[in-house]
This record gives sequence, structure tokens and C-alpha cells, in this order.
Amino acid sequence: MIRIRNMLALAAAILGLAATPLAAQSYPERPISMIIPLGAGGSHDLNARVITSVLPEYLGQPVVVQLMPGAGGQTGTAAAAQAQPDGYTLLFTHNFIGQLQQHVARLPYDPNKAFVTVARVNTAQPVLVVRKDSPFKTWEELVDYGKKNPGKLRFGHSGNWGAFMVPGLALLKEVDVKATLIPYQGGGTVMQALLAGDVDFTFAFPSVLSGQDLRPLLIVGEEKILEGVPTTTELGFTTVSEIGVMHRPVLAPAGIPEDRLKKLREAFSKLNENKVYKELMDRLGENTAYMDGEKYDELRRRQSEEYKALVASFKE
Amino acid sequence: MLDLLSQAALMLMRLDVILMIAAGMCLGIRVGALPGFTTVMAMAIVLPISFFLEPILGIPFLIGVYKGGIFGGSIPAILVSIPGTGAAIATTFDGPALTRKGQSRKALEMALVASAIGDFLSSFATVAIIGPIAMIALMIGPPEIAAILILSLLIIVVTSSGNFFKNMLMLLIGALLAMIGQDPIGAMVRFDFGFHALQAGIDLLPLVIGLFAIPEILLAMERRESSIVAGASTRPEGDRLRWADLRPCLRTIFRSTALGGVIGAIPGVGQVVAAIMGYSAAKNASKHPERFGKGELEGVAAPEAANNAVNGPTMVPLLTLGIPGDNITAIMLGAFVAQGLRPGPQLFQEQGALVYAILFSMLIACVLLLVIGYVLTPVFARLVTINKAYLVPLMLLFAVAGTYVYRSNPMDLWFMIAFGVFGYCTRKLSFDVTPLVMSFILMPPLEYAVGQSMLLAQDDVFGYLIGSRPITVAVLVLMPILIFWIAYRQRGRALA
Repeated sequence: MIRIRNMLALAAAILGLAATPLAAQSYPERPISMIIPLGAGGSHDLNARVITSVLPEYLGQPVVVQLMPGAGGQTGTAAAAQAQPDGYTLLFTHNFIGQLQQHVARLPYDPNKAFVTVARVNTAQPVLVVRKDSPFKTWEELVDYGKKNPGKLRFGHSGNWGAFMVPGLALLKEVDVKATLIPYQGGGTVMQALLAGDVDFTFAFPSVLSGQDLRPLLIVGEEKILEGVPTTTELGFTTVSEIGVMHRPVLAPAGIPEDRLKKLREAFSKLNENKVYKELMDRLGENTAYMDGEKYDELRRRQSEEYKALVASFKE
Repeated sequence: MLDLLSQAALMLMRLDVILMIAAGMCLGIRVGALPGFTTVMAMAIVLPISFFLEPILGIPFLIGVYKGGIFGGSIPAILVSIPGTGAAIATTFDGPALTRKGQSRKALEMALVASAIGDFLSSFATVAIIGPIAMIALMIGPPEIAAILILSLLIIVVTSSGNFFKNMLMLLIGALLAMIGQDPIGAMVRFDFGFHALQAGIDLLPLVIGLFAIPEILLAMERRESSIVAGASTRPEGDRLRWADLRPCLRTIFRSTALGGVIGAIPGVGQVVAAIMGYSAAKNASKHPERFGKGELEGVAAPEAANNAVNGPTMVPLLTLGIPGDNITAIMLGAFVAQGLRPGPQLFQEQGALVYAILFSMLIACVLLLVIGYVLTPVFARLVTINKAYLVPLMLLFAVAGTYVYRSNPMDLWFMIAFGVFGYCTRKLSFDVTPLVMSFILMPPLEYAVGQSMLLAQDDVFGYLIGSRPITVAVLVLMPILIFWIAYRQRGRALA
């Protein structure tokens, strides 16, 4: 009896092995895990919950979110870089972790060689804000004051080399103003500091903007998302537009089989047409500015060069 | 105002609202009781469900998960000394000792009652004086946080029991461990000894599971009894909590609630600090401080009331300004925004009734917590009565799994083992690890707050503090007086 069971097990194992090449065609045959190198409750976490609730429709398998925060995003990114490139591990990240940190920290991988882009899911354009009762009515007034009083302006940001520090530094470099940079832990605490009057200006994402006692002065990026507020592109700061916006891409470890990458890319492009997905993203206050993987891979390399220059200028 | 409140009460007079809170709560308790799964994770996972519910159902549902999760975290802390979250650390001081004495049920029910009272009173105070709390919350910036954290560290030093120099040594080790990784202001990597894995620093969870759970497991293996409960009888989980047990703890519960409510204004570190402060204060006020740590019911009531009392005030910045102070309120913000509601001053004016209804649902959640917890505790309490030959491996499994699932980092397991061995040695050499854990938790925010304050002061620290930070100055002036008073009381008792 026991023998027969063993024989069956052996047979099953052999069949299983034989079936592997066949199964490759039916990728994915088990759940895909999506690493987020950031903590629970942040905007990536919320975005991912929406993505993973709709994406299985196109892949036929669940997508499991795996949060791996730490070291400014490098713990999760390194884990994804070292994962098997079999299409079962993806990374949902943003450009500041993906492209900037290689210039400010020692990393055990090369971000441009270790990953290929599946898709850029969306973007978030930071808006430079001051308090409603601030003496600065326009961006020009802020710059004038900053030029006359070097180091006086207090710029609160959401964390080192993060989504607010980078556009802020890029802008300050563009207009040649020196300010005091004060790091806070996340966009919530820095907003509280601005409202309390501890800092003079910071940034906010559009989803946070409405209903607050704030005055928006400048939009980072091309899209004019608020009426009557200039964008960095209009003012001619094209570099700021390119590197200051947060891009949220899904990456896969390099070396992933072509057919699997194609399947993933198709799934994400279909996802972007999905009505439920669009509605949920809209409710979260996020756009669905999709970009296909190949195009974003080019953009990524450009960003990397520009960040290198930005970091070098800051360290002087 | 009054008709707003009555409208709000009417909105909640629905069976489905109560059912949604209860469903969320059961889910929260289950997830919270599993080490390594945090309340934040549970909330993030169920968040999309709330998108498809109407606001008055979806948001109370999340509140249920939240409150259930926080209580759930103290279950493994009491039973097997595995703190599910930082907030439950102080609960491991007396909880497992009570379990060993055969009073696990009493300890769990004390935790439940203390949590519910602390939460209810602080939520009630929040509803009543939300305006003033919002104003105070805005006055708390980095200098105030720094001053309060320094005060907390000093209180821990003077109230911890045992040898002063041993405690100071532990405090220093904790501070040094906390500095591994990136520095908070300049993001420079330090003390990583060239290992990439150390750049992320050491996480709290492997540290506390290693320090508290592993020694407990090793010590349980050393003992020869077949059950971890001493003198196991027919009912090893012990008796229910009686009024006679609860009454002497009421003072402690109210004190902890007040402390927790005030500390709730500090973002991020609130719950952990509140729990430890509540514990220290109870020990300081007690006539029998020597009983603490050896299985005192007050030692469970104090931290549990305090860490739950934090919950009410943390909702204030979210509701009044639309600013999430921590990850839990960030998820709440997501739930609000997805419903088309933007928390902030305007929401109060436009949808006042709804906001008050949501605040009331927090109160209902506290009452439900009592009911659901009362039904569930006997089930959990019996867990420790299974044979030690099965329970100890099970504890080890939970410790390992809990450490790993938290952020899926294999390195954390090595940290847990190392701290386990370290914790076992310190137990044998009678070192108290509390100062280590506390300085490990408080150092990073303290360093952050001091660094931010220096930047804000722009080279004129004294002028800045005196000119625009009255609260900081007040705390700094009162600090030595308070510390001397506590030290004096401790000394007086030592001599008596």
C-alpha cells in the first residue's frame, strides 16, 4: 500500500517536472507578489490596493502586496533586484527610490541594469504651497525674498531625497536661492508644520490640497491641474518638470523571459482601460497617466543623469 | 450644535452600522492577535471594501478593525510574552507572569476592560473638546516633542527597578542600537560596518520578540512541569475578573487614561510612550511597587488603558485639519477621500452631522469591544493550557513567523535570534531590558526632533525657544522639579 502511494508520488513528481516547460506558456500559474519598498498606509500602499483588486482579471492569478520598508526604500528594492527573474516578483516603486538613491547611497545593484519597466502606472505632481495668510502671494515674491535673505526661508520636506525635497532642491537651484531645508517624516507631518507656521513653504499632492487653508504658488510638471497657478513648464524650468514629478512604475527584475514581460505589459495596458480601476483611482485623487514600459525605461535613464547632477550640486 | 448631535445619533441608529463595526472588530482582533501582522496591515487590506460601502458603514467598519487590532495585540503579549506591536511591550511586563500564576483569563479581561475604559473616555473627551485639542495639536512641533521625549527617558531611568548602573548601561546599549542605519537629518549611513543589510537599521519587532519572547520560551523549556501554568489545576486559565479585582485598579486606569489622552497629541510615538508612562506612573503611585513585574493586575491595566487612550486624540488632526498623524490615520484619510469626503475645517461645516456620527461610532466601538472581547477571552485564555510539549514549539513558530511576515526580511530572523540569546543572558544576570527597549524606541524620534529644532532655530537656539516656544520652555523648566519629586518618592519608599 505504502509502496503504491510512493510510486504515485514519484509519478506525480516526474509528471510535474515534465509539465514545467508547458506551464511556462500558461504563465502565470501561481500568485504574483508585488514588493512595495515603503510602509503600510502610504500612497503606494493605497494605490497598490486598487491595482491588485483589478489586475487579477487580466492575469488570472491574484497579485499579493508585500510591504518591505526600510533604508529609504532600499531594503525592498534590493530584495526585488535579487529575486528570481521569473515574472513572479514585481516591484512597485517611485523614481526617487528607483533613480535618485544610487547617487546618495551605496547600493548592491545597479538600478538601470537590474530592472526593466512593466509600466508606469501614474504620476503625482507636487504643488508648492504656503499658508493662506502667508506674505508670499506669488512664486516670484517667494523667490525675491529668498534672494534678499539667503538661508532665511524654511523649506519643510517629507524626507531626505523624497518626493518634496527633490522638486524643491531642483527649483531652488534653478532660481539660485539658498533656503534652510528641514526634513519631516512624511507629507502629513510637514503639512502640520506648515499650518502651525514652523516652516515657510512645502509641497502637497493635489489629492491633499482641497479644503485646506493653503495657497498654491506653483505646480511641478506639465499638466495645469489647478486654475490660475503657473506650472514649472510654463516658467521654463523643464528639468524640474522632468525630475520633480513623482512617477509610480511597476518594475520587474532584469532577465525576465520576453513572453512573460509581454504578458505583464499587456495586462497593465488593459488595466488602464478598466472602468472600475479608473473610478477607484479617481476617488483616491490619483491620475491614471499610464506610460508603456519601453518609453519609461528611456525616461528612467534620463532621470538618472539629471539626479546625478542635482545631487552633485547639493553636495558642494 | 445640539441638533447636529441628534442628527448624528439618528444616523447611527441602524443595525447594519453596528454589525459592520462588530465584523471589523472580530477581524481586527484575529489579525492583531497574530504576531507580526499589524493593525495597519489589516486596515490597508480591508480598505478597498470600504470604498464600496456608504460612508457611515465603511468608516466605522475601519474603526472596528482598528480598535479590535489594538486589543488583539495584547493577547499574545499576555499569554506568551510576544508583543504583537510596540504598544503592547509594557503589557509583557506583568501579563505573562499572571499567566504563569494561572490567571490568564483575569489578565486578558483586565486588559479588555482597561482598554475599553481608556478608549471610551478619551474618545468622549475628543468629541467634547475637539476644537481646543486641535489648537494644542498645532502647537506641538519638534522642540516640544524633543522636550517631552527627554522627560520620558528621564522618568524611565528614575522609575526602573534594580541597579542604577545596570539600567544606565541598558539605556546606552539601546541608544547605540537605535543609531545603526541612516541618520534622520542628513541621511548619512552610520554603524553599518559595510553590510548593506544594516543600512536599514534594526527594526523594533525582531528586537522585542527576541528580547521578550525567546527568553520566555527558553525559560519554559528549563522548567520540568508539563504546563507553563504553575500548579495546573482543572481550570488552569483561572477565574473571571471580578469587581473586587477591578475596583483597586480604577485609579490606575483613570490616571493612565489622562496620561494617554495628553500624550496622544504627539504623532507617531504616542502609543508606546503612553503605555510605558502609564506603567511607570502606576508603579510610582503604588504602595507595593516591588510587586510590579511579578504578576500584578495593575501592571496590565496601566499600559492597556494608556495606549488605548491615545486613540481618540490621534483622530483630531485628521478630522479638523485633514492631516494624518500616523499610518493608521493615513488609511482613514484614504477611506474618507475615496468616499468623496475631504477631512478638514470645511467638512465640519458642510457635513457636521456625519463627522459627529463617525466620532460617535468610535464610542459604540468601545462598548462593542467589551462585549466581543468578553465572549472571546475564555477561548484565547485556554490557549496556554495545552501541554507544554506542544505549546513551546508553537510559541517558537509564532515568534519566528511573526518576525518574518512583518517585512519579509530574512535578516530580521538573525536579529531576533541574536536578541533572544542576549535577552536570555540578561535575564540570568538580572538586568532589566526595559531601559534598552525604551531608549531604542525613543532615540530615533528624539534625534529627529532635536535635529529639526536646531534647523528651525537657524543658529539662535535660546532666542528661538524663548521667543516662540513657550510650551518647550515650560516643560524644560518643570522637568527637574518633576524628576526630583519622583526620585524623592522612590527613595523615601526604599528607606521605609
